[in-house]
Amino acid sequence: MSPLDPSQVQLNEEGRLKHFLTTEGLSQALLTEIIDTADSFISTQERSVKTVPLLRGKTVVNLFFENSTRTRSTFELAAKRLSANILNLDIARSATSKGETLMDTLWNLESMYSDMFVVRHADSGAAHFIAQHVTPNVAVINAGDGRHAHPTQAMLDMLTIRREKGQFENLTVAIVGDILHSRVARSQIYALKTLGAAEVRVIGPNTLIPRDIESLGVRAFNNMKQGLKGVDVVIMLRLQKERMQTALLPSEGEFYRLYGLSTEKLAFANSDAIVMHPGPINRGVEIESAVADGPQSVILKQVSNGIPMRMAVMAMAMSGQQLRQEEV
Amino acid sequence: MKIQPQNKISIVGGHVFDPSQQLDGVMDIFIENDTIVAIGQAPSGFQPVETIDASGKMIFPGFIDTNMNFGSKTSIANETQAASRSGFTTLCSSPDNKPVQDTAASAILLKEKAKQAGFCSVLPIGALTANLEGEQLSNMYALKDAGCIALSQADAAFKDARVIQQCYLYAAGFDITVIITPLDTALAHGGCMHEGSTSTKLGLAGIPTSAETSSLAQHLILCEETGVKMHVSRITSQRALEMIVEAQTNGLPVTADVAIGNLIFTDEDVKGYNSAMHVVPVYRSEQDRLALLAGVNAGQLSICSNHRPTEMAAKMAPFSDSVSGISVLDSFTNVLLDLVHSEQLTLTAAINAVTHGPANAFNLSVGSLIVEGQASLCMVDLTELSHHTLSSLTSKGQNNPWLNEPLPGKVSCTINQGHIVYRA
Repeated sequence: MSPLDPSQVQLNEEGRLKHFLTTEGLSQALLTEIIDTADSFISTQERSVKTVPLLRGKTVVNLFFENSTRTRSTFELAAKRLSANILNLDIARSATSKGETLMDTLWNLESMYSDMFVVRHADSGAAHFIAQHVTPNVAVINAGDGRHAHPTQAMLDMLTIRREKGQFENLTVAIVGDILHSRVARSQIYALKTLGAAEVRVIGPNTLIPRDIESLGVRAFNNMKQGLKGVDVVIMLRLQKERMQTALLPSEGEFYRLYGLSTEKLAFANSDAIVMHPGPINRGVEIESAVADGPQSVILKQVSNGIPMRMAVMAMAMSGQQLRQEEV
Repeated sequence: MKIQPQNKISIVGGHVFDPSQQLDGVMDIFIENDTIVAIGQAPSGFQPVETIDASGKMIFPGFIDTNMNFGSKTSIANETQAASRSGFTTLCSSPDNKPVQDTAASAILLKEKAKQAGFCSVLPIGALTANLEGEQLSNMYALKDAGCIALSQADAAFKDARVIQQCYLYAAGFDITVIITPLDTALAHGGCMHEGSTSTKLGLAGIPTSAETSSLAQHLILCEETGVKMHVSRITSQRALEMIVEAQTNGLPVTADVAIGNLIFTDEDVKGYNSAMHVVPVYRSEQDRLALLAGVNAGQLSICSNHRPTEMAAKMAPFSDSVSGISVLDSFTNVLLDLVHSEQLTLTAAINAVTHGPANAFNLSVGSLIVEGQASLCMVDLTELSHHTLSSLTSKGQNNPWLNEPLPGKVSCTINQGHIVYRA
């Protein structure tokens, strides 16, 4: 019941990461350090021996309450490349469906002496809840909680942007599509604002833009032509097909006509603008194939950057925990 | 209540404060059996069995709670005792208990259990529809006959507007007051907090203010059409208050209350996924909170506890999965006096909102300290502080958001119908 902000929960006394729950509230220096660390791991990924011993002897549990093959696999690979032992648990299909509470699940896993939980959960705030209630010295990495945050995805996007654009200061970034349900968008907005992006915009129909989004320091647009004007980075979001069955949108066709990123619409942005997408992409729903596969697209680079970024936050959070252990 | 024949009590030296009669000064009160027989001068030949020295203390009419619930893991004895320790003498119990209060037998049983416990009078509020399912009218007349002071749908939805209309038509024919907490469930869309910048930041599904106000508009129109007497309980927004005041100005028989939590907390308190702040109805914006306080100060709103006791484990979950509600009765009076202490409410408005205000809304014969009236009152030391911890709670509800903070006021004695039910 303690009302601590996630941004406070994830830092230790020295202001180092001990969990990684959200990009909100982290300093520019810390976000930059995360990007730098990930950047340094990129070179290790190109070697024939890809593992580093930073998490040797540690046990990482992939605790996925929501199905996800892609994100889980990249965390698994990242943990292995850090030399950790990894256990994959698909809770979606086991414990909680038998009526076990989240607290029960946690207590059970703690008794197995794990060192890190990588958590995905359909409830906003779930990773924060777990971080507050696990025994000390277990690091929690948020792999996506409800609509709230997906900080490793946002940070791999920041890594990609910096590698492509060199810096953030003069950039105008537009995030397009289903902002309402997107944990990725929220995490990107906080990271971009802290890293000093000149302007962050969100573009979509009013039904997919959450109330008072301006309070996050962004400008909202309903019109792609206006929203993309002068933009350096275009981030497309995945549109869940099931949204079509609700009253949020008239049809896939109308959404694509208004917000689908076609070559024609991309021309509104700066000529050297890059196109990003957290994947998996819906070709012909939110993005045209010619754009997704075109010269401005960095979508596959985002995928490659996923592993070094996850290695970076896992290594940093574990080191923030070890610092605590040594104090004790 | 234990029967004590020829029970005569003198309460001397207390500062009697009763907004219903503008009583505000040091005077003595004389009680015989369940009745106040004199205020000021003792009746000739009055020989008290007991004299209570109330010097330095305020004496208020016993408090009335118009919306509380006993919870499923508590007991009527515990919760009524907690209430009496906060100065309550009358509790109106919401029908969403287990079992649902939709039969005369359940209403009578509830009153009987409260009577056996002997702390507070419990006045049942019956279900407006069978099993609160929102489809079939409950046995409204039987419920009224069994002592239900009003009928309510609590937080359950109506199947459609026609059911509401039929409920109101039927109730109006028997002069039954209906209680509603307006919420359009389609607009609420599974939300768990106020829709605004905080819900956007936290990624929690929000309930827009329109979910309350559009439903309220429908209820007010059906109230106008049917002539039913309506009490709108636990309003949350400035707009809802404006609509109620406008309806009153137009002559509709409408009264309203606000949950005390909505006078203290806002949606910003949910930050950090604080599951203690997961409540129904939700806490809204600071602007709404200030408007609701102004409504209490203007005498437009009564204050209810919205007491929903539960165990701590029920709050140990991610925000939207946690059980909603807070446990209030242990801390109610201290929290109310804190609003007075911080000059957000006047003492007159605060006391009126828990005594004469609700008594008037439900035509109850309590809530005033009048000669020949019921001897139900409480004595409060405003100069002392109270400090609750998990282990000091009387209520079985551990979901009390005010633990471990000192708050003003200490109830020293509560008398219900002439019987001393609590003494510090």
